[in-house]
Amino acid sequence: MKHIALKAGLLGTAIALAATPSFAQTKTTNQGISANEIVVGTHQDLSGPIKGWGVPVSNGMKMAVDEINAAGGIHGRKIKLVIEDSGYDPKKAVLATQKMIERDKIFSMIGAMGSPTVLAAQDAVLDAGITQLFPLTAAEFTYKFDPAKPQERLKFNNLLPYVESTRAALKHMIDANKVQKPCIMYQDDEYGKNVLDGFEKQLQAMNIKAAAVTSYKRGVSDFSAQVSKMKADGCDLVVLGTVIRETIGAMAEAKKLGWDVTFLGATPTNVLEVPVLGKEAVEGLYAAAAFEIPYEDTAKGKVKEWLTNYKKQFGTDANTQAIIGYNAIMTFAHYANEAGKDLTGQKLLDAMEGGKPFDDIFGNPTTKFSKTNHLASTVTQVQKVEKGRWVVVKGGLMF
Amino acid sequence: MRFIFKTDYDQDIRIFKHSGYWYSYSILLLVLAMAPFVLGNYLQSQLVFVFIYATVGISLLILVGFTGQASLGHAAFLAIGAYTSAYCQQHGVPFVVYFPLAGILTGMVGVLVGFPALRLQGIYLVIATISFGAIVEEILARWESVTHGNEGMKLRTLELFGQAVPRDSPGFYFLCLAVLILVILATLNLLRSPTGRAFVAIRDSETAAKSMGIDVAAYKVRSFGISATITGLAGCLYAHKLSFISPEMFTLLLSIEFIIVIIIGGIFSLHGAVLGAIFIVMIDPFLTTLKDDLPGMIGNLVHVFGADVPTASKVQDQAASIASAPGLKGAIYGLIIVGFILFEPTGLYGRWLKIKLYFQTFPMYKAATFKRQKTYVKSERNR
Repeated sequence: MKHIALKAGLLGTAIALAATPSFAQTKTTNQGISANEIVVGTHQDLSGPIKGWGVPVSNGMKMAVDEINAAGGIHGRKIKLVIEDSGYDPKKAVLATQKMIERDKIFSMIGAMGSPTVLAAQDAVLDAGITQLFPLTAAEFTYKFDPAKPQERLKFNNLLPYVESTRAALKHMIDANKVQKPCIMYQDDEYGKNVLDGFEKQLQAMNIKAAAVTSYKRGVSDFSAQVSKMKADGCDLVVLGTVIRETIGAMAEAKKLGWDVTFLGATPTNVLEVPVLGKEAVEGLYAAAAFEIPYEDTAKGKVKEWLTNYKKQFGTDANTQAIIGYNAIMTFAHYANEAGKDLTGQKLLDAMEGGKPFDDIFGNPTTKFSKTNHLASTVTQVQKVEKGRWVVVKGGLMF
Repeated sequence: MRFIFKTDYDQDIRIFKHSGYWYSYSILLLVLAMAPFVLGNYLQSQLVFVFIYATVGISLLILVGFTGQASLGHAAFLAIGAYTSAYCQQHGVPFVVYFPLAGILTGMVGVLVGFPALRLQGIYLVIATISFGAIVEEILARWESVTHGNEGMKLRTLELFGQAVPRDSPGFYFLCLAVLILVILATLNLLRSPTGRAFVAIRDSETAAKSMGIDVAAYKVRSFGISATITGLAGCLYAHKLSFISPEMFTLLLSIEFIIVIIIGGIFSLHGAVLGAIFIVMIDPFLTTLKDDLPGMIGNLVHVFGADVPTASKVQDQAASIASAPGLKGAIYGLIIVGFILFEPTGLYGRWLKIKLYFQTFPMYKAATFKRQKTYVKSERNR
């Protein structure tokens, strides 16, 4: 009798499995998990063109690891973080990734830096059954996946994508300021292209024509041609697909020409460095943003404590980049904790896709994944520089 | 010391000069053939990059080392090969077609670059090739219908005769190795042919070459073409190894890296390209390994010398924090290169020749053997 029940049970399970229109089986790894340790890895640009991002991100990650380990780890397991330098070179990123997979036996790849570097190394990570969590690039390939390819299910991201955030912020600005002649100046690379995409899609959706579209090559410092063109075309809103220096440069140029116009930056402009370095030039700049940037003297509670600790540990003020790095580890820890005491790759995947929300201490929009959605959130804020500080204008925006 | 008794003129142009060559290269080939079955993916990937870099290094040696024409535009040739492959693969062209096509197309571009370069020499030629690189980078970013602009292109797994050859498989390793070996053999053959001799003559003195009836312009263009073709082939393999290409990967920096390959390796012999490639590709992983293992070794050493366990682990932690300081690896890398240029201008291969001679003639070795004799020759010629 017992046997029949067992057989029926097995048959039932088999039918249930077959009937679910679920994905093919994803291969996951359990390497890197031992009785008292979880090994995770990341590759950062610590010496190349975007080390201004790589260094604070890795600092933030280290801080999160220290904090988790000091509190006893995840179900008694301490996190060991392996950081490798890619120098923003895809070849080095591939080698560093393979090294971490084979020699360090990482369980998860967290917060890797850069589009070409992450993309070149991605297959190695996924084929080994390792989860690729929260890379520092908002490009689509980091969260969009093909259900027919089971290994792609291991990709998750929690950064605000450029296209969606630009659209949401632009929609708000157009509605709020009755913009009729929007313009754009974007960086000639993959990031700038994404901002341009968001700009064009949103204008098309709202049936508005762009008054001027200008671009610049990464590394240049003179924007007089672009700004004069946009001024001549009578723009009333300038969207900036820029980073730090170019944001300041473009706005300084407009001030020099005596042109009083509203600027809206994409998410990368929403960093501390812009008001700190740009001073009066960037007063009044709007930007799409994911979360409110904390300041040490106005922050409260946990955030204040965090900022003080960061400064104590690394000797510089914490910035957005550091917060993103910190959150990457914290989000991983949250779901690894959720996965339970006998953590495995499959259990982590189930926990992440389980739809349990995660809220950080900085007031980021709630992180939530599902079986079909591996992007944490697209909720955008618009912030403005007022008296040298970022202030939230409006939150909870969608396009 | 081995003395070769020559009885035939053919002996001068033999690729394998004596039986020692057969033994040593057979052993090397055997080791390389076993490597993918013994080593893990990490080391195998390093070797694949070594093969690809060495292939580019050889193409540069033909142009820079043997014809004496400088180039800082080889990243652009690599890009053309890579993009040709990516584009063809997307349009369903099989590998056996687009692999040679990548070479041929790049070779044609190389010839086109060679023509205006005829009138330029030295630093001006360097500037011209740099601008060529910049133009190609710009075209790759703009020509979106073909190159997908700054979004880059993703390559699918390589398929050879209906068989998938994943980029981390032994199959891909052997493909790259085979390409490198064929390129080396072809180049050796080229260098002992009239064309190769003409290249060397142009390098040593253009005027002398011209007076001997060598069509300098034609040979320079040919050299550009051959060099670009080989780089194009390497570009195809490079694209497949990385599986993703975008314009920002083929910048001046990569061209400089290729030049460093042959400077470090030794600019006067094909061995130099391979040794230089080994250095450039493997130094970074090697420093990484040091960074991981050295602190532990220091800690153990301190412990052996009588420190107690807490002190030793403290020293170890401190060493670890110094070793993983951002940018340290880059600084060490730079120092090594500066050291090479200062103390060993003939590169790794030059050093190897000296070491070999030291043991062959022991104890009669004299350093002056390698002193430059032909001071009237403009280029460094050590053969």
